[in-house]
Amino acid sequence: MVNIQNALLWGYLLVSIVIVPGIITGLIRKVKARLQNRIGAPVWQPLLDLIKLFRKEETLSETASWLFRFSSALNLSIAVYLAITSPWISPRPDTGACDLFLFLYLFAAMRLFTMLGAMDTGSPFGPFAASREATLSFMVEPAAILSLASLALVARSSDLTVVFSNYTSQHWALWVLSGSAFLLASLVELSRMPIDDPTTHLELTMVHEAMILEASGKNLALVEFANALKLSILFGISAQCFLHAIPGLMVNASPTIHGIAGLTGLSLVAGSVGIFESLSVKLNWRAAPEFIAYSLAVALIATLAALGADFV
Amino acid sequence: MKLEVLPLKLEERTTVVKEALDAGDRLGLITSIDGGQLLTLLLSPQMHTVTCFQTPIEDPVYHSITSLVPQAHWFERTTMDMFGLLPQGHPRLKRTHLHEPYAFEGAPLCNDVRDVDAHAYQFFDVEGEGIYEIPVGPIHAGIIEPGHFRFSCYGEIILNLEIRLGYIHRGVEKRLTEVPCHQARFVAEAAASDMPVANALAHVTAMESLLDFVLPGSCQFLRTAALEIERIAMHLSDLGGLAGDIGFLAISSSMARLRGLALRMGELLTGNRLMRGYICIGGVSMHSSSESRRELIKVAEQLKQQLEPVIDLYLANQVAIDRMEGIGKISCSLAREFGLVGVAARSSGISYDCRRYWSHALFPGEDFEISVEQTGDVFARAKVRIREIKSSLQLLMKLLQEPHAGPDWVPLPEELPRNSSAVGIVESHRGELIHLIITDHQGKIQRYCIKDPSVNNWTALAIAVRNNLVADFPLCNKSFSLSYSGHDL
Repeated sequence: MVNIQNALLWGYLLVSIVIVPGIITGLIRKVKARLQNRIGAPVWQPLLDLIKLFRKEETLSETASWLFRFSSALNLSIAVYLAITSPWISPRPDTGACDLFLFLYLFAAMRLFTMLGAMDTGSPFGPFAASREATLSFMVEPAAILSLASLALVARSSDLTVVFSNYTSQHWALWVLSGSAFLLASLVELSRMPIDDPTTHLELTMVHEAMILEASGKNLALVEFANALKLSILFGISAQCFLHAIPGLMVNASPTIHGIAGLTGLSLVAGSVGIFESLSVKLNWRAAPEFIAYSLAVALIATLAALGADFV
Repeated sequence: MKLEVLPLKLEERTTVVKEALDAGDRLGLITSIDGGQLLTLLLSPQMHTVTCFQTPIEDPVYHSITSLVPQAHWFERTTMDMFGLLPQGHPRLKRTHLHEPYAFEGAPLCNDVRDVDAHAYQFFDVEGEGIYEIPVGPIHAGIIEPGHFRFSCYGEIILNLEIRLGYIHRGVEKRLTEVPCHQARFVAEAAASDMPVANALAHVTAMESLLDFVLPGSCQFLRTAALEIERIAMHLSDLGGLAGDIGFLAISSSMARLRGLALRMGELLTGNRLMRGYICIGGVSMHSSSESRRELIKVAEQLKQQLEPVIDLYLANQVAIDRMEGIGKISCSLAREFGLVGVAARSSGISYDCRRYWSHALFPGEDFEISVEQTGDVFARAKVRIREIKSSLQLLMKLLQEPHAGPDWVPLPEELPRNSSAVGIVESHRGELIHLIITDHQGKIQRYCIKDPSVNNWTALAIAVRNNLVADFPLCNKSFSLSYSGHDL
């Protein structure tokens, strides 16, 4: 009986890893399109795009070394590994521990390899965007760590699985604070509005998109999929934080309810990001630290609240 | 406006031009007819007069006036490319049109085979630790025209921008001397395809003055309406582009929708959304029924109503304003020195609008307010555009309410007068557009010269982005909204 349930959970997880990233990306695009009075592509369009990219011929820069394609493959492997181990979607099979520092620094490793890949091709935009990415990433690092560390502090474990499963808390405010701080940090991490406009065609303003300009065909498919997966994981973690803030929802409920709640939460987070991106204006590059400061401030409040909760 | 070509000696040229400019005149353009002379067009807005000086040149070398009159710099470079006339002492003499692949068999518009030096283009070199060069274009990410931008950056800050154009030189000016003059309007319109009305109007204004013909008010009234509709549509498109560049998607898509209304007005008036082929010598090519005029007024009112909330939303967003304020500044003195035109000049405090000074369509008879801002930044240019949309709408509604009765078209003689010249100056949505026509002793067009407003303003863009962030370049670029094909011709 346990085995069948475990097998079902594994099946659910693997199907989610393949399908959910595409749908979530498509959902954000759909929301943005509707808010601009456009009909927009169907939500599953990113999945079709992936299939299309896999079939396309690849153009490779003459100056690119093995590192360029290796980094895309490695990034996707890291993203899949994190998707399997981290509690971004519920319910989940038992996949062992997922340390929060490992979690965040594996994302940092992904970024490192994206940056190396960007500098490898000899395009003038790649290194330029890589320098921006590096600037952003070290600014946002404290916010991302503190928001999750505050939860770990109360759970007395840095294992995210423990934080999100065993933890039955009345501290709903803490969950909301951590979730919000992590979501704001994720927007920076993912180079989305208001730091970077993912829909722009202007290479000179891009952060993430300029780093992958040289990728094409199958290589681009890997990059796009890894990025969509990263987006789903980061938004999924925020969604799980918000879900845990609802009293009683994530405790002692059946896997079906967990599954519905997990997917709904993730879609709601993605939908709100879509609304936010339609209404907001891209910040001046000099104002980016101010936005990151919001995220850091919320994360600090969460940490203080966690410390307080710990002493009580 | 009919022109009289006055002779001017080469030795006196510098002094005469300098004195005229100091007295408040503008340098219209510098060009040549066949490489044996220099033409200098001076515009005096206060006196409403245009003076054309012809300076004979035997040796293809002359003294550059750029160091005294900076606004001459681009004209002198283009004249070198097209006629092989070498301006001696030009501080930054580089080619504008002739690229390396061009087979150098002499200057394209020059009569005698003149040896042009086929040296490779040298970009301005900025050196120092941490200086980074970004080449952008000529093929751009958006589906736009080609142009090459060479940025020298220090970190995220632009130290220098050099713009290289000329990738789509199609020989428009030469072609205009070859086609029958009653069909030339189609070529003239294509000089810059996002301002067909302005180009066609400048063309017919020059042609009709060559023929010494004054059209009845009814034709001019329709042309005025078309010109204003084009201005509204293009300003809306530019504002939407500005919003898009700062990621303000809601405004960007609303502006695209509103531009659709403006294009609808164009369709109701001319039967064609982009109003091509409408303005012709002797009037306009299509009759618009009173029914479609009534519909036109309705659409104009609709546009006016729907525009307000979008503009309010745009200007109520503090982040959007922060993105535009203080970015890409051009001071008033700089704008004057480089002879900027159009929105770029008016947002730097120069109150120059051709509609006030030069006769084209119903202007300068129609009354309207010139929109001027003082700050000279991206926001000022956006504000000037917003105010111009409003004033153009108002003017259009007023015109449509009291239509001029009369014919749409009157037949004009086919023969052009001999040895004469005329100029048409039009305020397009980009600014001062000049078409200069010179006929030879047989009454054939010997030289057709177009001065697109972008020619004046491209340099301003290069200057405006200095010391700004690289990420703000697209915003500055959009705020100037310059034409590649209008420059390249």
